[in-house]
Amino acid sequence: MVKPLSAKLWRDIRRQKAQFAAVALTVFLGVTIFAASYDSFQNLTASYEATFTGFRFANLTMQGGDVEAFAAEAAATDGVESVQTRTVADVPMQVGATKFLGRVVGMPGTDSDVNQVRVIEGAAITDPGALVVLVEEHMAEHFGLHPGDTVIVAGQTVAVGGSVSSPEYIWPARSRQVPFSSPDNFGVVFTTEETARALAAAGPNEAVVYFAGGEPDAGLAAGLTTRGRALGTTSVFTRDLQPSNEALQEDLKGFQEMALFFPILFLVAAAMAAYVMISRLVWAQRPHIGVLLANGVRKRTVLGHYLGYGLVPGLIGALPGAVAGVLLARLITRLYTGLLAIPVTLVKFYPATLAGGVVIGLMAAALAALAPALFASRVQPAEAMRGNTPPGRGRPSLLERLIPPLRKIPIRWRMALRGVGRNPRRTIYTMLGVVLSLVLVLVSWGMIDSIEHVLDVQYVEIQQEDASVRFGEPVGQEQVDLLAGVPGVAAVEPVLEMPVTLGEGDTALDTALIALPADTVMHRFLMDDGSWGSLPAEGVLMGVGIARRLEVRTGDVIPMTIAPLGVTVEVTVGGLLREPLSSVVYASREYAAASFGTLPATSALVSYDPGADPSLVRAAVTELPSVSAFEDAKAIHRMIKDFMVLFYGFVGIMLVFGGAMAFALIFNSMTVNIAERNREVATLLAVGIRRTTISRLITAENLVVAAIAIPIGLVAGHWVSAQAMASFQSELFTLDLFIRPTTYVFSAVAIVLVALLSEVPGLRALRRISIPEVVKERSS
Amino acid sequence: MSISIRNVWRTFGEGVTAVHALRDVDLEVPQGQFTVILGPSGSGKTTLLNLVGAIDQGTGGTLEVDGVDLGGLDDKGRIGYRRTEVGLVFQFFNLIPTLTALENVELVAELTGDDGAARARQALEGVGLVDRVDHFPSQLSGGEQQRVAIARALAKQPPILLCDEPTGELDFETGRMILALLRRLNRENGQTVLLVTHNAAIGEMADRVVRLRSGAVVEDRTIADPVEAEALTW
Ligand SMILES: Nc1ncnc2c1ncn2[C@@H]1O[C@H](COP(=O)(O)OP(=O)(O)OP(=O)(O)O)[C@@H](O)[C@H]1O
Ligand SMILES: [Mg+2]
Repeated sequence: MVKPLSAKLWRDIRRQKAQFAAVALTVFLGVTIFAASYDSFQNLTASYEATFTGFRFANLTMQGGDVEAFAAEAAATDGVESVQTRTVADVPMQVGATKFLGRVVGMPGTDSDVNQVRVIEGAAITDPGALVVLVEEHMAEHFGLHPGDTVIVAGQTVAVGGSVSSPEYIWPARSRQVPFSSPDNFGVVFTTEETARALAAAGPNEAVVYFAGGEPDAGLAAGLTTRGRALGTTSVFTRDLQPSNEALQEDLKGFQEMALFFPILFLVAAAMAAYVMISRLVWAQRPHIGVLLANGVRKRTVLGHYLGYGLVPGLIGALPGAVAGVLLARLITRLYTGLLAIPVTLVKFYPATLAGGVVIGLMAAALAALAPALFASRVQPAEAMRGNTPPGRGRPSLLERLIPPLRKIPIRWRMALRGVGRNPRRTIYTMLGVVLSLVLVLVSWGMIDSIEHVLDVQYVEIQQEDASVRFGEPVGQEQVDLLAGVPGVAAVEPVLEMPVTLGEGDTALDTALIALPADTVMHRFLMDDGSWGSLPAEGVLMGVGIARRLEVRTGDVIPMTIAPLGVTVEVTVGGLLREPLSSVVYASREYAAASFGTLPATSALVSYDPGADPSLVRAAVTELPSVSAFEDAKAIHRMIKDFMVLFYGFVGIMLVFGGAMAFALIFNSMTVNIAERNREVATLLAVGIRRTTISRLITAENLVVAAIAIPIGLVAGHWVSAQAMASFQSELFTLDLFIRPTTYVFSAVAIVLVALLSEVPGLRALRRISIPEVVKERSS
Repeated sequence: MSISIRNVWRTFGEGVTAVHALRDVDLEVPQGQFTVILGPSGSGKTTLLNLVGAIDQGTGGTLEVDGVDLGGLDDKGRIGYRRTEVGLVFQFFNLIPTLTALENVELVAELTGDDGAARARQALEGVGLVDRVDHFPSQLSGGEQQRVAIARALAKQPPILLCDEPTGELDFETGRMILALLRRLNRENGQTVLLVTHNAAIGEMADRVVRLRSGAVVEDRTIADPVEAEALTW
């Protein structure tokens, strides 16, 4: 580069150090987010992988049916490393005064164990017949269980031998249909296979298969699934669909989407910030560029010179950004694995992420500088040395034409209005800053709003019960009436829940059928079109996620197999539900009774009397011999909020970063808006207009531009948020974008406040303006 | 208004790099006098106008206008003085690029009372600009821009008029017309005029000619019977 030009580069940067610092900050944030999310994702994936192979997590699980025959067949199949059968049963448990339906899992105990556990406290069980259990760590922690304590399992008092972690219960989900249970309502104990059979009063009912090296193999899984169904299984699932793992992968997938989406968003915003700043700089320097080119400086030299304005802040931001990101990834990974108790945490240093972060940051800044640099190199000297003419004729602004009384206000105020249209570059760049800022803020805020809204819809609007009660055995009406008679219980609705398989062949989907009274008031049905519906007289209601997966629509008829009853019936899809957190199908008890014979209740929905003490109700209800579990609706709501803590954490960080970036963007717009009016300000001062008036004029013009940009930014923010949310749809969750009106208002107000605040340094600098120096410069 | 400049210095920088733009300048300008300031480039003409216009401050001496010491005014006082007492025609126009010719003038006219638009139009007519008033500065020729700048200074009818090379960009005919206008306003309203130029011929129409060289007054001559502007030739 020509030497004086590099001197010019550094002097220009020093002169506008605040703006360059702001651009460097945006690049820094973008690269930090990129490196942090990318490395966290790599670390988490590696941690899960290591956990799965370390614990020999089953690739395929078959529940019910002839598991011994299945195991024999599977063992003889190529690609299967080990197979085990075991006894798994949901049985009544009691810890202290808390009764619930827990799960006992038998451990066959061979060297090639599938689904191993790791003892955290206490010791492994040596005597096969001992009445000793190892408590899964979530349950152990919740109830404070240690070796030597006792719990009641299926009516028998058993000793606690210790606590263990298991790959099957990293997220303690009862089933795919009930992925969230509060620890008061679900817990898992492991024991020897012999003891498990004794406690469950049943034989092996599950086969678990570990493929060679633990590697997933879709073909092998499909073949075994077909065999499993032929052998009468109630449910067969691969590792991906294992309830705990599915919930975690769902979470990780959401994280992955965000880990891609946010860095892109932030880097685009950083590039925009650089683009706007450099464009404005080039525009302001057009006459000098014209002089350089007129004097024979090469276009390439000019191009390189202006690319430098992007590369310098790019490098200043990208280098520390990559380092910060890699460090932040370690923190995020540890937080995540710590919070979710993932047994193996792998935190590695990936040099590629570091290098990639720097390259991406530099590229974003260089690309941003390219357009203005090209523009600079193509400046026509003669043209550039003439001033630029505002577009249109010199007539009143649109606002003045729309509101004629505005024409009576002093010209200096009309000047603020007219400046908006007459300086389209400044206006557009400012608007761009405002729009981007709103997008950055609304995206994260919108996600938080949407999640809160979804939880609200599910637990406040849809689910009206105060608690749900599970019976140990299916019960008749007399037990339901007994429940209704408990003090504090206002109403009870009997519920029948059965595992069902929808569809057939490859697309078959295992889920649950919930039969509720036709006139249920404890559960409301949010239909696909947003209206509230009710159970159809004929057929079932199903979530849009399931319908999408099964490729069915309202009115279609599909086969539904109810394995415990051994029947398959054709059911009509009576309607689609927009139920956010549910993947079951609903039918009325009356319809179910007519289709499958008279029905008992497996559970019940309960509402409390006004003012009833939930803990007293819980105690009284769990005293009933028929009741095996009691779930308080509020507890489960809290539980899910806990599950969301990572989401909140991540999106919260994004909100902070987005806010910082928005500040940088607005700050740059405002400071440049003022700086480039130096000459104008000096003239106004010279003719006797007060500084405060000038400040107000500039503020008015900036606010008019902001006022135009804010609605556009709100719409753009909504749109981008909707795109971001669309990636969260799945069979388990239906997430719609919902942004609270107050969020829009707060964001808009915050932007205006930031704009006003950002003006302060620029307006202060006006005090230092030397009028004679500025006015004597030949005009540009 | 009378202007009294006593022992005024204006030094830029310090030590060896110090530039004395004005050295010990003494001038008493009575109200209504039409003074032409001559001098080669860099002699301090613009600097002197800036001091009288209160957009710059001297580094030594006193400058009084109607007995008021400009050096004693605070920022607010100086702004008020600029607003009501002086009209400035800048050497390089300094028009606001996003305002039309008319709006540029109106902006200043408004500062000194109602009816700004009418007075702005009148001032523009005075400098011979009628049909191009709705154009932006960049759409005007250099001479037209200069006339807008002059109209802007005249529109508020200030008691003191400071003109830096007001005819620098104008052809002979237009230049003479402008000078005639300035002289007429000076006679009709008793305005005190300081007019800076390179053009020694213009000195013949003035009441007084002051010549600067290297920041010092080297000639101060009163002209008993100035010629009419229309009679000037160069
Ligand atoms: N801000 C400044 N810093 C340093 N020196 C300055 C500054 N402003 C003016 N000068 C110097 O003061 C001297 C007088 O400048 P001034 O602008 O008054 O000249 P002038 O007589 O108006 O010249 P011209 O006819 O070329 O306009 C010049 O030598 C100039 O270099
Ligand atoms: Mg000068």
